[in-house]
Amino acid sequence: MRNALRLLRRPPQTLLAAGLLLIALAAAAFLLTKTASASSWLGPQPQASPLHPRVPLLDEDGQPVLLSAKPVSTIATCGACHDADFIAGHSYHADAGLTDFGDPGSVPPSRPWDTSPGLFGRWDPLLYRYLSPAGDARLDLGTAAWIQLYGGRHVGGGPAVTSRAGTPLEQLPVAAAGPFVPTNGMRRAAPGGAAADPETHVLDPQDGEVRAWDWEASGAVEMNCFLCHTPAPDNAARLQALQEGRFAWAASATLLGTGLIEPTAEGYRWKTSSFEASGEPKEGLLAIQDPGDANCGLCHGLVQDKLEQPVSLAGCSPETYRTVTSGQIVSGQRVSDSGMNLMGKDELTRSWDVHAERGMSCTDCHYSLNNPVYDQESEASRPEHMTFDPRRLGLGEYLYQPLHEFARGQSAQGALAPELQGTMRGCESCHSLQATHDWLPYKERHVEALRCEVCHISKQYANALQQIDWTVLGPEGLASTTCRGLQQDASSDSDLITGFEPALLPQADAQGATDLVPLNLVSAWYWVYGDPPRPVRLIDLQAAWFEEEAYAPQVLAAFDRDGDGVLGDNELRIDTPPKQALISGRLAALGLQDPRIVAEVIPYSINHGVAAGEWAVQDCRVCHAEDSRLAQTVLLASYQPGGVTPQLVPGSRVAFQGELYSDDGGSLYYRPDTSQQGAYVFGHDRLVWIDRLGGITFLAVLGGVFTHGGMRFASSLRKRRDPVKTQTVYMYAVYERLWHWLQTFTLVALLFTGLVIHKPDLFAVFSFRGVVLVHNILAAILVVNAALALFYHLASGEIRQFIPRPVGFFDQAIVQAKFYLRGIFQREPHPLARTPQEKLNPLQQVTYLAILNVLLPLQVISGILIWGAERWPELAGRLGGLPFLAPFHTLIAWLFAAFIVLHVYLTTTGHSPLTSLRAMTLGWDEVEAHASQEGDPS
Amino acid sequence: MRQPKLIGLVGLLATLALIVIPLALFLPRETRAAEDPWAAVPVREPHTDHTDLMPGPYDSGSQVTQRCLECHEEAAEQLMATVHWTWESEPVQIEGRPEPVAIGKKTALNNFCIGIQSNWPDCTACHAGYGWEDADFDFSEPTTVDCLVCHDNSGTYVKGEAGIPVEGVDLAYVAQSVGAPTRENCGSCHFSGGGGNGVKHGDLDSHLIHPSETVDVHMGRYDLVCTDCHQTTEHRIRGRSITVSLDTQGQIACTDCHSAAPHADVRLDAHSASVACQTCHIPTGAVRDPTKMFWDWSTAGQDREQDERSYLKIKGSFVYESDFVPEYSWYSGIRDRYLLGDPIDPSQPTQINPLAGDIADPRARIFPFKVHRARQPYDAVYNILLQPKTFGEGGFWTEFDWDQALRLGSQAVGLPYSGQYGFADTVMVWPITHMVQPAESALGCEACHSSGGRLDWKALGYYGDPLTWGGRFEPALRAELQER
Repeated sequence: MRNALRLLRRPPQTLLAAGLLLIALAAAAFLLTKTASASSWLGPQPQASPLHPRVPLLDEDGQPVLLSAKPVSTIATCGACHDADFIAGHSYHADAGLTDFGDPGSVPPSRPWDTSPGLFGRWDPLLYRYLSPAGDARLDLGTAAWIQLYGGRHVGGGPAVTSRAGTPLEQLPVAAAGPFVPTNGMRRAAPGGAAADPETHVLDPQDGEVRAWDWEASGAVEMNCFLCHTPAPDNAARLQALQEGRFAWAASATLLGTGLIEPTAEGYRWKTSSFEASGEPKEGLLAIQDPGDANCGLCHGLVQDKLEQPVSLAGCSPETYRTVTSGQIVSGQRVSDSGMNLMGKDELTRSWDVHAERGMSCTDCHYSLNNPVYDQESEASRPEHMTFDPRRLGLGEYLYQPLHEFARGQSAQGALAPELQGTMRGCESCHSLQATHDWLPYKERHVEALRCEVCHISKQYANALQQIDWTVLGPEGLASTTCRGLQQDASSDSDLITGFEPALLPQADAQGATDLVPLNLVSAWYWVYGDPPRPVRLIDLQAAWFEEEAYAPQVLAAFDRDGDGVLGDNELRIDTPPKQALISGRLAALGLQDPRIVAEVIPYSINHGVAAGEWAVQDCRVCHAEDSRLAQTVLLASYQPGGVTPQLVPGSRVAFQGELYSDDGGSLYYRPDTSQQGAYVFGHDRLVWIDRLGGITFLAVLGGVFTHGGMRFASSLRKRRDPVKTQTVYMYAVYERLWHWLQTFTLVALLFTGLVIHKPDLFAVFSFRGVVLVHNILAAILVVNAALALFYHLASGEIRQFIPRPVGFFDQAIVQAKFYLRGIFQREPHPLARTPQEKLNPLQQVTYLAILNVLLPLQVISGILIWGAERWPELAGRLGGLPFLAPFHTLIAWLFAAFIVLHVYLTTTGHSPLTSLRAMTLGWDEVEAHASQEGDPS
Repeated sequence: MRQPKLIGLVGLLATLALIVIPLALFLPRETRAAEDPWAAVPVREPHTDHTDLMPGPYDSGSQVTQRCLECHEEAAEQLMATVHWTWESEPVQIEGRPEPVAIGKKTALNNFCIGIQSNWPDCTACHAGYGWEDADFDFSEPTTVDCLVCHDNSGTYVKGEAGIPVEGVDLAYVAQSVGAPTRENCGSCHFSGGGGNGVKHGDLDSHLIHPSETVDVHMGRYDLVCTDCHQTTEHRIRGRSITVSLDTQGQIACTDCHSAAPHADVRLDAHSASVACQTCHIPTGAVRDPTKMFWDWSTAGQDREQDERSYLKIKGSFVYESDFVPEYSWYSGIRDRYLLGDPIDPSQPTQINPLAGDIADPRARIFPFKVHRARQPYDAVYNILLQPKTFGEGGFWTEFDWDQALRLGSQAVGLPYSGQYGFADTVMVWPITHMVQPAESALGCEACHSSGGRLDWKALGYYGDPLTWGGRFEPALRAELQER
């Protein structure tokens, strides 16, 4: 035994060297485990292909349009080489939900009146008109009217060609005979009768009459290849053709800018001078190309790919649909070079979207799913021994049958083609997290909890819809809309765009894992009636609100608060029960059963407008602070019509996890709650009771030691102590002192850094990231130190000292306790002997047992699990996850803090106040000689 | 008890080391501190007030110079050894020419006002000396050195014909104000080249005297003066104008101060192997005042409506442009220079200063240039460009007689003149290197790497956009370039 101790009383240099060597080895092992991988993929630029041959434009009978003067049929023309039927039949852009069309409410997940998951049947409160199912007494949109209204955002084909039963629309029987009236394709039908068939009838918005539709005269809208595959499609002409009911001419109208076709009084005419005799367009007139960003932008929001033209967006209108619902603008132009009236524009020298800036186009990510260039076998199905399988579709095969099912992400607002969700390669398939986020501690944990977009799209620099209120109608007969991110100035023409920060809500992906995603939340209020419920038709709503061209007198009287005869924005609100009763009464008078207000929140995903590098969030305190971005309140609506609180629309896989509350002004807010999300955000979340308990304990101990010490000091002044004989004994070996002080410094530093992590706002001078790293490194040192110390104590047998001996335990404990509580003030000598073999009195033994063998291991384990929350998430999760581990760790930290105070104080109870300190530093202790000691076997 | 005390200290150090060393090892390194470009900017001498040193009065510039030389004994000699005095370089051997050539404003032709010979008193107003009014100027007389043009800090010093200060200049006042050269000093000549403010260079005009940072970031935001980059020792001003030089010795570069890899993104640093800094950091030339892009001498002499920016009877018709997009070319130096008497092919535009460098030359970079195109007189029989006499007796600007002007000019330079003249197209390139924009306004990727981009890839020698085809050092292109 003594030999072992003597071994350790080597010159300290040896031990120092040994210790450093150990650390060096540990460091080397750690560094070797760092690996890096990087891969990047640049796609080709879309350009007008010089390869595409000039083909004759054919009509539906396969005749050149030059000869027949009929509208061009894309299926016949493009189908001469490409499998056009395959293309049109395998495209959710065309299908728009037709194949999943069903009874209202039967198509999950949906509202009770939705008939499909796509554009054809999923009701959209922004456009409001409802595609009526068969059998509805009140017809709102028939199929033909759907094409007129929604056709602008539909590429054609699908429901614009095929009926719900699967038959061609042009073969649907017409309700009554009569000549075709070219302006609307509608003819008077005998009024009256039961529910009109929505596939063959439309509602005339002028007078509310139901009319028959002559499909043979109007034709159907084939999938319009030219819309995406020509460089400058005339979308305005196409929309006009659709609205006029000339469905068959829609594709032809798209070519209006090419010089191949010109408009006439009766319709359109092919310019024979632009064609060769064989029916092909002349050289250079019709360029066929891969879809460019501008093509996608015709429907999918504001896309600006011409650098010289300043991006500009004004107002709150739904024309650029995808932009007004989400605030996304896809352009490589600098924000500061744009033409927007944007606050702080001059400092925004970043581009709108970094991917657009770097030359990527929509199809680089949203590629056709059988594109041999882009499509890679998924990681899951690839065998382990293969990194790349070159066997793929040949280019010719692909060009013959390109699958127009495009890779898509997991947007909250898209319920169409759920089987294709997540087919788009995510950020991580091009970007390496490891190589780029070196500065970020807990990378995997961040990525698991947050989608990349949370930090990389932290602010939108456009306005977006906030609230759309269909319970009231404005003077033009449309809803009252409010945008977020826009300061509307009635006095000037230009509203100031302030931009907005997206709402962060948890979304479940296909595998069921949730993470936070940025969204724009649009709240909609509207009237529904009947059972089964239906949204009140626009025409009925207009009838309830208006008489002739102006507001009905009762309505005006009820809503016009200031009596100026005009209903302003703040007056057009159903904010009292009488107003609601008035409108619902007027709706009921029209025959609508049980009209009531319903509200919903529609989340729109925000995935574009990505910022790179310095423009992404890099300041930890954005989230890790009291005022965390993750708990930022979102204004949902500035008022709640009818007092109705909205629900999230089903099918978005997004959930409210927090509180919806209204303030005094009636505004509706959503305040996320991180603990409801099962998250624990360091620096933001805390269990207040633990802090309170810990704080009280700490202060109590502090108070106690000051009292005790004060009393000792007072007694030392009063009474001289009897001289006690002391012996100088070598009490602590070098290693014992080293591990003690190393433990001390690391523990104190850990407590301090832990406090900074817990309350970063109090210690803003420190870098949060730096403190987290220091905490982890110190913790590692502590664990190694504790492990080595444990080994030492076990191997040398010193552990025996810490274990209380059962015999005489209580007696000695009481004796020692009495000394501390009374004897010490009488300046009595210590009651129990102290030798190098018995350094600890029973009270100390119990305390150290608790500290070193209970609290320290718990703290270490909880700390490791917190750190391991990213490496072993299931294990950490099974033990409660961060929401349990972190507060537990905090509690023990408080106890350690209290212990340190107590411990430091008690070291002053040696022979003289500094005796024990000197002993622990230099090794030699002044031990009071006891009679009992001399007989003690050592 | 020395030993125990020592062990206490050693123990403390060991403990701290066991904490500090792992921290140092595992805490991430701060990214390397950006090299400070200010370290390379010369330290400015403190100003010496010359009020009492130059009492005056002075009747002529030479008197002032004599006084300067009493203290600054070597100054004149130093200046007389430089091109600001001689207006001519040391002889340089050029490939394709049998003997070394000395080139300079003294004898060179350009496609602006064409040349100074026979027009000395007007052109030599910008000479850093007094009295160069004909071919017989004595370049060895120190007292004819003009100290004031560069060192005047009063802003009242104006030179007239042959470099003599004009009437009304208070030489004593000017002499007392002398100090280190300011932008206004250099600009008094270099901004007005070609006969007006900002006419010639395309990136130098009077806006650089008090520029905002969007005119030039170095001079605007940081108030650097010309000599901070064109560093001068013993009156030798560093820099080389590619329009009157044949070599690039002493040329200054951005990397004289800035790191060669200063960008946050490594791909931008990789561009510097093929693209000059100026290409991205000077998106347009002549950001404020327009510069002359085209000069047609052949229309001169007509009595029609005159306008500074479109037609003058003495000069002909022009096209001015401001905020113009430069033309881009590979550049590693000057390949050749049109010299007096060189034959031309009048059916093709003559390159006055053709550039060296192409895609295969690893030293070459893509630089931005202002390209000035002109139509200027040439001898239709001998097929050489001619030097007209424009200023003075018998000059075109008084007589409007081309034949006489060309004859007198040809006599002055010693070239034959057949009596038949025409107007040939000429092209001259001027580097765009001033009016640097702040970093945040640099060109973005799409400026070049897009379908409407600035660079004509095929003309530069690439297969196509190097973003998709690979750059010139990529295997496919590099192999082919080596073969070429």
